[in-house]
Amino acid sequence: MSQTPESAARPLVLGAGPHLRTSESTRRIMWWVNAALMPTAAWGVWAFGPPALEVIASAVAGAVGGEWLATRALRQRATVGDGSAVCTGLLLALTLPPLVPWWAALIGGAFAILLGKMIFGGLGYNLFNPAMIGRAFMMASFPVAMTTGWSVPGPRNWYIRLEAITTATPLGIMREQSVAAAIHSIGGPAGWLRLLMGLRPGSIGEVSVILITVGALALLARGIVRLHAPFGVFVGLAIMTSLTGAAWLHLLSGGVWLGAFFMATDYVTSPTTGRGQFLFGVIIGLLTGLIRIWGGYPEGICFAILISNATVPAINMWLRPRRLRAAGAPS
Amino acid sequence: MTSVVNRVLGRGPRHPEPRKEATAGRPIEDLPVPPEVILPLQQSLGDPALPIVKKGEVVRRGQKVAEAQGSGVPLHATIGGKVKAIERQSHPTLVLAPAVVITRLGPEAAPDLEFAEDPEWAALPRAEMLARIREAGIVGLGGAAFPTHRKLQLPPGVTVDTLVINGAECEPYLTSDYALMLAEPRAVVEGARLIARIVGVPRVLFGVESDKPDAAAALERAAREGADGLEMRVVVVPSRYPQGAEKQLVHALTGRAIPPRALPYVVHVVVQNVATAAAVRDAVRFRRPLLDRIVTVTGPGVAEPRNVRAPIGAPLAELVRFCGGMREDATRVISGGPMMGRALPRLDVPLVKGMNGLVLLTGKGPLEDGYGPCIQCGRCLDACPLGLEPNQISIRVEAGRATEAAEFGAEDCYECGACGFVCPAQRPLVQFVQVAKSALRKERANRKAAG
Repeated sequence: MSQTPESAARPLVLGAGPHLRTSESTRRIMWWVNAALMPTAAWGVWAFGPPALEVIASAVAGAVGGEWLATRALRQRATVGDGSAVCTGLLLALTLPPLVPWWAALIGGAFAILLGKMIFGGLGYNLFNPAMIGRAFMMASFPVAMTTGWSVPGPRNWYIRLEAITTATPLGIMREQSVAAAIHSIGGPAGWLRLLMGLRPGSIGEVSVILITVGALALLARGIVRLHAPFGVFVGLAIMTSLTGAAWLHLLSGGVWLGAFFMATDYVTSPTTGRGQFLFGVIIGLLTGLIRIWGGYPEGICFAILISNATVPAINMWLRPRRLRAAGAPS
Repeated sequence: MTSVVNRVLGRGPRHPEPRKEATAGRPIEDLPVPPEVILPLQQSLGDPALPIVKKGEVVRRGQKVAEAQGSGVPLHATIGGKVKAIERQSHPTLVLAPAVVITRLGPEAAPDLEFAEDPEWAALPRAEMLARIREAGIVGLGGAAFPTHRKLQLPPGVTVDTLVINGAECEPYLTSDYALMLAEPRAVVEGARLIARIVGVPRVLFGVESDKPDAAAALERAAREGADGLEMRVVVVPSRYPQGAEKQLVHALTGRAIPPRALPYVVHVVVQNVATAAAVRDAVRFRRPLLDRIVTVTGPGVAEPRNVRAPIGAPLAELVRFCGGMREDATRVISGGPMMGRALPRLDVPLVKGMNGLVLLTGKGPLEDGYGPCIQCGRCLDACPLGLEPNQISIRVEAGRATEAAEFGAEDCYECGACGFVCPAQRPLVQFVQVAKSALRKERANRKAAG
């Protein structure tokens, strides 16, 4: 039997096909998402100063520490390196008011991972968005800190807590006073520019619409997210808030952009088909508007996402991929 | 509508790139006669052939060495030489299987058989054409290796109206069909005409992927030459894996969807690969048996990728040597294409009739680093050509509820591997489907047994 010396030199690797694989990996996707959040986080740190950095660091530490402890306690393979815990901590931090105490963010991050993800079986098995679970937990546990921790962007105001409870943000003013007052608070009808840039009180990472979009575009170009769900969120919110006559203010305020691009697109907790993702987005948008206009909170995106997460299994069963079928032919 | 929305709102499905640059457009090069060939008695579906030569006998290239049995096809000596042994030898799929081993003798000792043209070839009766195809030992050369004479004998009551000649060659890296279409378009078209006459269809459609426009043009020129009332059309289909899969190609060319687990004749179509069509031409026109085949020896792990015409039974090591040998960093050898082919443990196995490629890959193999949980990214749904749900199937199988996978189309899957390719968690989705299929088969058998 003839045999080339080369082939005799070393054993060949056997494996099941397909023998070609994409270079994309779960870990790479997660770190891309984290990277895409960096401009937004950096803006939050510039606008809200060291307290914001403290909150971000604490929430990430809480999330990563929580996952590390859980995998260790359960004797599972350590998964903190896959970047998903960092992502959860980061997303949670970006939805928090900048003056939330660091220990609250730390506990919030740990709870987000433990109750939002690990208890379901870890990555891939959770029904609800872990960051939003963390935020809901903090709303319930630290209501005062979560509703009064606002400051005005800019280095001169880093440590100045806005005094008026719940009326700090444009959404808060809209809720407690009027649409007109909210528009006034951002500097009149021309204030949309300030909303776009992120020059308004708000959560650390929700204020800069432009930078959120930059991150989202990177993910879009990389093929990591699609626009079905975010588009749905905007459609749903626009429909619901057009009742108030200031849909634009709603669309540019609060955590809609962060939620639409970075939470409604979370793979695990959103539907798998494009049609399903769009419907999911619309539900989030409608619920957000509903909560903002008639609900008990000035901002509704967090609870809207959590409620919509619960519809995902049903949407996946309902809006299935289309099977290959005959297109106008005999038989 | 949905597709328009998908195009606007996000990157659509991702597919393996063709990666055919190394050998696309390269000529077909003949392997020098190897010192030895190993001819397994079983190279196709159906019964193995029965040897009719003895150890020590001198055989000429083209001479029959084993007779067809039952549903099988005969086997011919592919080099002139002496029968060294009839014994169990390594086999690319069966591991070890009986084979006729022939050692080379010079052309003086064992001259090749000559196959002269039959002047009546264009007007033979159907039964005679089928007999010649069987006698030539022809099986599907696109990879499936189903005996061609059986594929062309349709069950009673079945009517067909279209012959599809598959020149899509969607597997990444492979260009053996491409090279054949460029080099011998006439043989392909003549074979197609003969097959069309055998199955009695008025229409022949050639399906060629859009990354091979010159092959499509060559076929078109050849098809225009003879006018005998047959409608012949070359259809260029988008180059997108798995476009060459029977179901996909028939759907793209005729709009007809072959039902799950059914054969193309159910939608009145017969499908043959371009290389099979050319072999049919040789069998009918010259009574020449299937002795050689074109195989693409390629991939980053081989020094000089080539389209090689080699005698059936040639050791794969000879093919690799002809192509400059294995590179230092080659780790894997795939028989067939890298998507649906099999990894071979060694190179001392023979080329068999159905092997259209030998792809040498570098780097880590699938699953060498394990795999992760499903993150529901939906990429496999976009990749699946049938609209099945590999994510759901895999989760059900992991949860020990494999029979629930039927709901998501496990049994319809023909295992093209597109889902496994795109999965960022590196999940072995095809293998999950296989587990589901076997569980469903078992369940069905149990139900039948229970009454």
